[in-house]
Amino acid sequence: MEKDSSLLDDYVLSLTGAARPRVCFLPTASGDADHYVVRFYRRFSADCVASHVSLFRRDQGVGGVEEDLATHLLAQDLIYVGGGNVVSMLGAWRAHGLDSTLHKAWRKGVVLCGPSAGSLCWFREALSAFHGAPRRIRGLGLLPYSNCVHYDIEPARREEYRRFVAGGMRPGFAAEDGVALHFHGTHLERVVSSRPDGRAYRVEPLAGGAVAETPLEVSYLGADSPRSATGPHAAAATSSDRQLRYSTSPAAPTSSNRPRGHSTNPAASPGVHGNAAAGPPEAVAAA
Amino acid sequence: MSSSPTTDGEQRLIFAMGGGGFTMEPDNPLLDDYVLSLAPPAQREPRILFLPTASGDTTAQINAFYARFSGRTCVPEHLSLFRLGDLARSLEETILSQEILYVGGGSMRNLLAIWRAHGLDRLLIEAWRRGVVLAGLSAGAMCWFQGGVTRSSGPPMAIAGLGLLEGSLTVHADGEPERLPVWLASVRAGTLPGGWAVDDGVGLLFAGQRLRRVVSSRPGASAQRVDAIAGELVRARVEPELLGAGERTGPAPLDEDIHELRRVQRLRRGIVGEERGIRDR
Repeated sequence: MEKDSSLLDDYVLSLTGAARPRVCFLPTASGDADHYVVRFYRRFSADCVASHVSLFRRDQGVGGVEEDLATHLLAQDLIYVGGGNVVSMLGAWRAHGLDSTLHKAWRKGVVLCGPSAGSLCWFREALSAFHGAPRRIRGLGLLPYSNCVHYDIEPARREEYRRFVAGGMRPGFAAEDGVALHFHGTHLERVVSSRPDGRAYRVEPLAGGAVAETPLEVSYLGADSPRSATGPHAAAATSSDRQLRYSTSPAAPTSSNRPRGHSTNPAASPGVHGNAAAGPPEAVAAA
Repeated sequence: MSSSPTTDGEQRLIFAMGGGGFTMEPDNPLLDDYVLSLAPPAQREPRILFLPTASGDTTAQINAFYARFSGRTCVPEHLSLFRLGDLARSLEETILSQEILYVGGGSMRNLLAIWRAHGLDRLLIEAWRRGVVLAGLSAGAMCWFQGGVTRSSGPPMAIAGLGLLEGSLTVHADGEPERLPVWLASVRAGTLPGGWAVDDGVGLLFAGQRLRRVVSSRPGASAQRVDAIAGELVRARVEPELLGAGERTGPAPLDEDIHELRRVQRLRRGIVGEERGIRDR
């Protein structure tokens, strides 16, 4: 839901493979902020069957889904998690059992996505810098990596993330604003961006306390990017040193054992059983 | 944070409102003035911190808080756990430096879960031990007890609280009548301990574990104490003292010095406007 671009939203909708996807918004990390919910409906209600779940207004019947949250969420094509405070969000989710529901949805093939807090939450660990010193937090752990967002906004954040990874945080991925990491199963399928210069990195520890920050190949989703070159096929064209990063995923838990590094399998079309953790668009960077 | 001496039980004050105060009674300041009067008398300008967590930190609640308290003899501030980027000090310092903590209404389940996620539950208990006054309405009142009745998931159901106060509490006994039967059934069944049912506009003041006073901002509002004895409910009506009837509980009127002092403090803290972006982290 970037203010000036729908490229990432369009991309993640395309992953559902549905003509009119069922999309549910979880604005928990913003405290279910009304203006954010409105923005969601403005963006998605024309092309999707849009709904939202408010965990703060379940007693008031103000249009959100109220009764059986699990059944509703499991029936979606896409669950879109809004930005905000990831610690508050995870606390509220657990109190309502949404952590296990989202796990089930992911296994079932519902595409999961979100900016900022909506990205951090899918990972085993994440760097949260909402207040004071950046903190190492535990996410839902669908993706066995660490994650850092807004990598370009604050130099201090980059430093902290590298320090944490050097100090034992698991290796992971850092994304700048406007950049999305698309995982299929637990493997990074593609990195896409709504900005021509968006960047993302694989960050991992080296011997002796150093940290390797390897730039990932980023596909710009704007006008000049040929859509035909998208998807796992892009990976096949990359050189071997990129295979680690672009290896085609052994799809989601539902269809495993595809060979790494080869992506000729059409079943690997991104996201059908995948998980997109979108890097931070705008909602994020609101100052 | 240097360790302050803990107070003895009788100096630990909790003021639990069944409803009322600035979010529900914009034209009736009696309960909020009473809250301010609970600060230690030595504090000419008590620091009062509002926690709107249970509402998701809505701007409406935060604005209503400042509308009520910024014209009074106190230093009002709020803590948003969804916008922590705005916070200048650590959570611990923010909580423990107050004279009064005021907790708003909303979802009690979310309130407790989010507090725990940030470790705020421990800080609030520590604040209570040190003599910081704890006040709140609805979810912000029930949270201090062993349990209450929440509509966090839609229909009313029993829920555990922090347990600083023995017994359970149910709120809006007159305003949301569907809560009371659920509470009574829970008390009778033993899933909640006995306790109090409180109308909108009524507040219970506890000193330690002892109910010291029952006050009200509205004529006719009341409370009741209910216990299950041998499987039967024993109910006793509690008559509140009507605030504002002759007795002056509110703070002294403002004078120019205090206005000036507050202006300086606000500038120093860099108080900002209401519209804050979603600071995603």
